[in-house]
Amino acid sequence: MSTQPHDEHGIELPQPTSAPMFTAFGFTLMAAGLVTNWVVAAVGFITMMCGIVIWFRNSNPDSREMPAPATDRHPTPVVPKEGGVDHLLSDAGHRARIPMEIHPYSAGIIGGILGGAVMSGFAVVWGLISHGSLWYTVNLLAGAMLSGYADMTTEALCAFRTEGLIVGILIQVVMSIGVGLLYGVTLPLIPRMRLFFSAILVPLMWSGLTWASISIVNPALGDHIEWIWFIASQVVYGVVTGWWIIRSEKIGTMQNWHYLERIGVETPGAREMGADE
Amino acid sequence: MSVLQKPAGPPAATGPVPFLSRMHEWVTTVDHKKLGTMYVTCGIVYLIIAGLEATMMRWQLAWPGQEVLSPEEFNRLFTMHGTTMVFFVGMPILLGAANVLIPLMIGARDLAFPRLNAFGFWLFFFGSLLLYFSYFGGQGLYGMGSAPDVGWFAYAPLTERTFSRGHSTDYWILGIFVAGIGSTATGINFIATILGMRCKGMTLMKMPLLAWIMLIDSVLIVVALPPLAAGQIMLLFDRLLGAHFFDAQAGGSALLWQNIFWFFGHPEVYILILPGFAFVTEIIPVFSRKVIFGYPLMVAATVAIGFISVGVWAHHMFAVGLSPMLNAIFMGSTMLVGVPTGIKMFNWVATMIGGKIRFETPMLYSTGFLCQFLLGGLTGIFLATVPFDWQVSDSYFVVGHFHYVLFGGLVFAIFAAVYYWFPKVTGRLLNERLGKWQFWLLLIGFNLTFGPMHVSGMLGMPRRIYTYHLDRGWEFWNLLSSIGVIIQLVGFSLFAWNVLHSLFKGRIAGDDPWDAWTLEWSTTSPPPAHNFDEDPVVHSRRPLWDLKHPDDPDWKYE
Ligand code: HEM
Ligand SMILES: [Cu+2]
Repeated sequence: MSTQPHDEHGIELPQPTSAPMFTAFGFTLMAAGLVTNWVVAAVGFITMMCGIVIWFRNSNPDSREMPAPATDRHPTPVVPKEGGVDHLLSDAGHRARIPMEIHPYSAGIIGGILGGAVMSGFAVVWGLISHGSLWYTVNLLAGAMLSGYADMTTEALCAFRTEGLIVGILIQVVMSIGVGLLYGVTLPLIPRMRLFFSAILVPLMWSGLTWASISIVNPALGDHIEWIWFIASQVVYGVVTGWWIIRSEKIGTMQNWHYLERIGVETPGAREMGADE
Repeated sequence: MSVLQKPAGPPAATGPVPFLSRMHEWVTTVDHKKLGTMYVTCGIVYLIIAGLEATMMRWQLAWPGQEVLSPEEFNRLFTMHGTTMVFFVGMPILLGAANVLIPLMIGARDLAFPRLNAFGFWLFFFGSLLLYFSYFGGQGLYGMGSAPDVGWFAYAPLTERTFSRGHSTDYWILGIFVAGIGSTATGINFIATILGMRCKGMTLMKMPLLAWIMLIDSVLIVVALPPLAAGQIMLLFDRLLGAHFFDAQAGGSALLWQNIFWFFGHPEVYILILPGFAFVTEIIPVFSRKVIFGYPLMVAATVAIGFISVGVWAHHMFAVGLSPMLNAIFMGSTMLVGVPTGIKMFNWVATMIGGKIRFETPMLYSTGFLCQFLLGGLTGIFLATVPFDWQVSDSYFVVGHFHYVLFGGLVFAIFAAVYYWFPKVTGRLLNERLGKWQFWLLLIGFNLTFGPMHVSGMLGMPRRIYTYHLDRGWEFWNLLSSIGVIIQLVGFSLFAWNVLHSLFKGRIAGDDPWDAWTLEWSTTSPPPAHNFDEDPVVHSRRPLWDLKHPDDPDWKYE
């Protein structure tokens, strides 16, 4: 930024005037006259016309101006700051976009699959311990989508069901990969305590949300859930997935790549070629 | 050439100016900073009035079977509360803030049409008085009614003479009509200013985003307010001259009013929230010490919101029985508006990520805005889903939705702006500690009041009822809502005290208290009448950054 001295007249500002206020007041009185008395409207009309005449004289043939009032206060000049600006990116045409490095998306997917697998194992063990059934947990999960499961007795839920197994696995796979991807994208943005975030905070919030909404979403299913085990299996997932993602090697984002490189042109000299433009 | 005359007021620094000539100075001023201050001050006074109206309603609803208010009084209160908040709190505060800020941020001396600007203010001012005069004059010839009681959207046929005797509804029409003309004039003024009066070097893509957003906002004002005025004149014809535009029994159409009103009404809610976006868009980068993420995308999203928001109005009419086709179209367009809005959310968050965030009051309120506006936007998407809307339309769920966007969003953004720009306008800083107390009290009070409304709405509580029975299961949620109001009242009182106290005793701000980057911080606080001693010339979006860091100026990157 720099400044430009202004022209020879000095600074001029429009003169104060009561015209706008009178015009507005008159107009409002005219409106009020519609619901009170025609005299009010008549007074309003006269007031408005007076305002308009003053206004006209104020701006014709030339706008009435006055020199800006003198003041002895002036802005303090802006001074450069001590010390230079550190750059996260050198020789890029833009400022660095944070995060500069991310975990590869594949880490999110693989972490999600691993976490989902360990979580399933954990949940099945719980089913075995609490109900002596391999199929109890997967049926419970499938009940979120299949109709009729919510009304089943515990014995019925313990039995093997083909569609329950398929749907349960499907839900588990989709959810695990989806959440894994979300973890993969968000974890690089968390400045501190990533494992705490993925293994404790998110599972607790997710459990809380489920707890609050299950009575509306699927009331009967809510009766079967044992919350300690529910939370514990979320935590197991969070630990495994978060751990996998965090230990994966970070890769740089493509933000400082040339667009030719970004669209996959790998000819030698592409960068130099683009730099000429 | 212009006619030069001696300055009207007494020259500066010659002892105290007598009260009358000081008043005269304010009444005749055409200075955008003074007009802006008057707008905002009036807006805050009306905020207190409308807030007290709401407090009375919450007292009446605190538990079942209260008899604080009669049904008629209750109807007047919710009508006056909603009308005041939209037209005489939201509009003047945003027009006022834009008045103060636009010329300062684009390096101009004033708006393009300073007298028209004053005219706009006085129309708003007298229009609002006309509406409130209805408390005395609304009796009309029939001795019935008092203040308007037809709701802020004044649905036909309730507004027809058969159902609304006396003149209360006429006052509603006329007060808003008068103020609306003023807003339209000011919108045109803003457009002319932003397009024509930018300082040297400030191309459109180097404008502060506030100017961009206010440009789109002004276009929306010019597009949306005249149709409302037209509808209101039709309604006046019905009421005063016996026409039948909205009188279904005589061949008119009550639905026509709904279409006209919401064709104005939905853009209006965006007219209100866009300046809120503008405030946080300026504040978040400064307090994150980073440049705004995705400037061009922010511009594009603003333009997209402008376009889409004039094509979604019928989402307020899902329950009237439009054709399934129309419902589907408007459901689609409404969901579409979530896309640019979402882009903005992501950009604000991306600006904060990795920044050196300073949680001073403006930033606290901006963060509150982000969280609460997000919730309001999400319930908006729920409501855009036709089958869901059928269940909760006209219930407290809707009341919860729009208070999350307007109070949790807009009012929090306004407080962010007040804490941020108060030092520029007055020369003194507001007290940080009081500001933080106010923030937490408002945050708790607001969520306690409006969060439970989503529940009472889903439990079936209709809006605009003046009392309810004990056996509905609503009493707990209503009590929570009313308790929240008490906490809010404490917060608002702290604010009033803070403003009054800081005006006279606050810490002297200096030109640039926040180490910010846009032009308004390069002049004195308060700025002189002519804004800048010398015309600024800019080379980037952050002219003051360039001056402060000559080794790393922004224009290298833009
Ligand atoms: C994501 C964006 C949004 C969507 C999808 C959305 C959707 C909706 C829908 C469908 C309704 C009608 C509900 C009904 O009456 O049954 C509604 C009502 C309302 N919305 Fe929004 N909305 C959004 C954002 C906003 C914003 C930003 C504001 C204001 C700042 C706002 C203010 C209102 C108001 C005031 C009402 C109620 C009007 C009344 O009936 O009195 N909304 N919204
Ligand atoms: Cu709407």
